[in-house]
Amino acid sequence: MTSLYLRWGGLLIVAVGLSVLTYNHYQQHLSTVSPHQMKEQAPRQEIRLFGMVRGGTLEGKVKAGDATFELIGNDTSVTVHYQGPPPDNLRELKTLILIGKWNPSDNIFEARDIGLVTNYGFVIGAYLIGLIPLAIFLFAMSRRVELLYEEIKESKLYQEE
Amino acid sequence: MTFFNVIRWIVWKDLVTELRSRETMSSMVFFALIVIFIFSFSFSMDQQAAREVIAGIIWVAFAFTGIIGLGKSFSTELQNDCLEALQMVPESKGAIYLGKVVANFLFIFVVEILLFPMFVIFFNLDVVEEISILLLIFFLATVGLSAVGTLFSALTVQIRAREVMLPILLLPMVIPVMIAAVEATKGALNGDPLTMYSQWLELLAIFDVIFTVVSFWLFEFVMDN
Amino acid sequence: MIIHRVIRKVQRFQGWFGGGAALCIIAGLYIGLIDSPPDYYQGEVVRIMYVHVPLAHTSLFAYIVLSVGSIWYLWKRDPIVDNMCHAVAALGAIFTTLALATGMIWGKPTWNTWWTWDARLTSYTVMLLILIGYLMLRTFIDDQEKEARYAAVLAILGLVDLPIIHFSVEWWRTLHQPQSFSMRGVSMSSEILVPLMCMSIGMSLLFSYMLMVRTQLLYLDRLLHAKKGRLLSQFHMSQSDS
Repeated sequence: MTSLYLRWGGLLIVAVGLSVLTYNHYQQHLSTVSPHQMKEQAPRQEIRLFGMVRGGTLEGKVKAGDATFELIGNDTSVTVHYQGPPPDNLRELKTLILIGKWNPSDNIFEARDIGLVTNYGFVIGAYLIGLIPLAIFLFAMSRRVELLYEEIKESKLYQEE
Repeated sequence: MTFFNVIRWIVWKDLVTELRSRETMSSMVFFALIVIFIFSFSFSMDQQAAREVIAGIIWVAFAFTGIIGLGKSFSTELQNDCLEALQMVPESKGAIYLGKVVANFLFIFVVEILLFPMFVIFFNLDVVEEISILLLIFFLATVGLSAVGTLFSALTVQIRAREVMLPILLLPMVIPVMIAAVEATKGALNGDPLTMYSQWLELLAIFDVIFTVVSFWLFEFVMDN
Repeated sequence: MIIHRVIRKVQRFQGWFGGGAALCIIAGLYIGLIDSPPDYYQGEVVRIMYVHVPLAHTSLFAYIVLSVGSIWYLWKRDPIVDNMCHAVAALGAIFTTLALATGMIWGKPTWNTWWTWDARLTSYTVMLLILIGYLMLRTFIDDQEKEARYAAVLAILGLVDLPIIHFSVEWWRTLHQPQSFSMRGVSMSSEILVPLMCMSIGMSLLFSYMLMVRTQLLYLDRLLHAKKGRLLSQFHMSQSDS
C-alpha cells in the first residue's frame, strides 16, 4: 500500500512540475498585453501586444511588410509601426497579436512580427479533461487491487469459524 | 423433425397463439396509433413540412412498435417453461431462430401494412404510384429489424430489467436500418426516381443478409443452456 | 492453456508497462505542450491533437481487443478471457468518452462548433452507446457463465455493426451536408509527429497497464466473492448440523 502511494506521489510531483513549466512557458512566450496595460507599465523587453486594427488607419506598403496603423484594445489605441516579414493576416478590423517593443519616447510600438491569436484555454481544458479522469480511474483501480489482496489474505480468519 | 419442419412449426405455433389471443398485434397497432397522434400534435405541419419529416415519423413509430412485438416474442415463452422446451428441440438452435424471425417479421410487417393507410390519411400523403417500392422498403427494413431484434429478444428475456434492456441494446444496432429506411421512404414519398435512393435499398439488403447470418450463428450461444 | 501462459508472461512485465507509459506520457506532454512549435494553420490549438488522437486510437484498439476476446471466449469458454473482456469494455467506454470530449474541445476553436454529425464522430458515439449497453447488460445477469456468453454475443454483433454504421452515416452525411471537416491533406510534419508518436505509444502502454490492473481487479473480486460464498455456505451448514 505504501509503495502505491509513493509511486502516485512521485507522479503527482512530476505533474506539478510539468504544469509549472507549462505555465511559465505560456507566461513568457504566449501571454499578451493590451495597449492600456502597456502604456501603464511601459515595459522595456519585447512583448506581445493584443488588439484590433482600427478601421481606416492602415497605411504603407502592407504587402511588402512595412505598414503603420493604429491598434485599439481596452479603449486605448496606440500607433504601431510594423516592419517584418510580409504578413498574411494584416487587415483592417482584424484582431491580432503583435510581437515587438514599445518605444515610450515617440509613443510608437515597433512591431517585428505578427503572432497567431492563441486560445490556449481550450488546449489546457482538453489536456485536463483528457488526462485527469484517466489518472483518477487508474489510481482508484490500483488502490482497490491492493485492498482486495489484503482482504483475501485476511479472509483466512473466516475459515476458522 | 427436420430443420425446416422446426421452422414451420414454430411459425405456425406463434401465428396460432396470436390468432387466439390477439395480444401482440392489438397492442402494437394501438401503440402505433397513439404514436401517430402524439407526433401530429407535436408538429403542426403543412403539407410541405410533412413531406420532410413524415418518413422519420413513420420509422420511429414502426421501430417502437416493432420493439413491443419483439419483446413479447420470447417473453411469452417464459410461461409454463416453454423456453426450456424450445431449448430441448433436437435440431440446431438456428431453426428456432429462423422460425422466430419469420413470425416476428410477419407480425411487424402486417402491423406496418395496417398502419400505413393511417399515415396516408392523417398526413395527406400521395402514394398511389410508389406503393410497390414502399412495400419493398418496408419488407427489407422489417427483415433487418426482426433479424437483429429476435436475437436481442432471446438475449434479454432471461435477464433482469428486460423491458429496458431490449431497446437500449437494439436501437444503436439498427441505426443503419433506420437511416436507410428513412432516406429511402423520403425518396419514394417525394416521387424521386429510383436511382436516387436505390443505394439505400442495397444497404438494407446487405444489412439483412449479414445480420441474418451472424445472428443465426450467435443464436446458438444465446439459447445454449 | 496457451493464453494463461501468455497472460502470466505479460503480467510479469506489468510494472514495465506502467513505468513506460508514465515516461512516454510525461515526455509527450513536455514536447507537446512546451517544446513543439505551434502549427501554422491551427496555431496553439494543434496541441489538443496530441491528447485527442491517442485517446481515439486507443479506444478503437479497446473495441478490437473486446471483440477478439469475445470470439475467443465463445470458442474456448475461458473465464480469464471473459474477465479481460469485461475490463476492456469499461476502459473502452472511458477512453471513448474522453476522446469525444477532447474532440469537442478541439472542434470548438477549429470549426467553431462543439458537435457535428460527422461520420467518424457519430460512429464513435454509437460505439460508446454499445459499450455502455454492454456494461449494463453485464450488471443485469446473475449467472456468471451466462453473463459472459451474452456479453460476448453482444460485442461480436457490435463489431459487425460498427463498419456498417460508419458507412451509412457517411452516406447520410454526404447527402445532407456535403462539406466535411476532413483532416486529409494536412501534411504531418515531424514537429507534429514526434509528440504525437510519443503520446500514442504512451497511451497504448497506459491502456495495456490499465487493462492488466482492471482484469486483476475483476478476477480478485470474483475470487473473494467465491471464497466468501463458500465460507458462508460452510458456516450455515455447520450451524444447521449442530
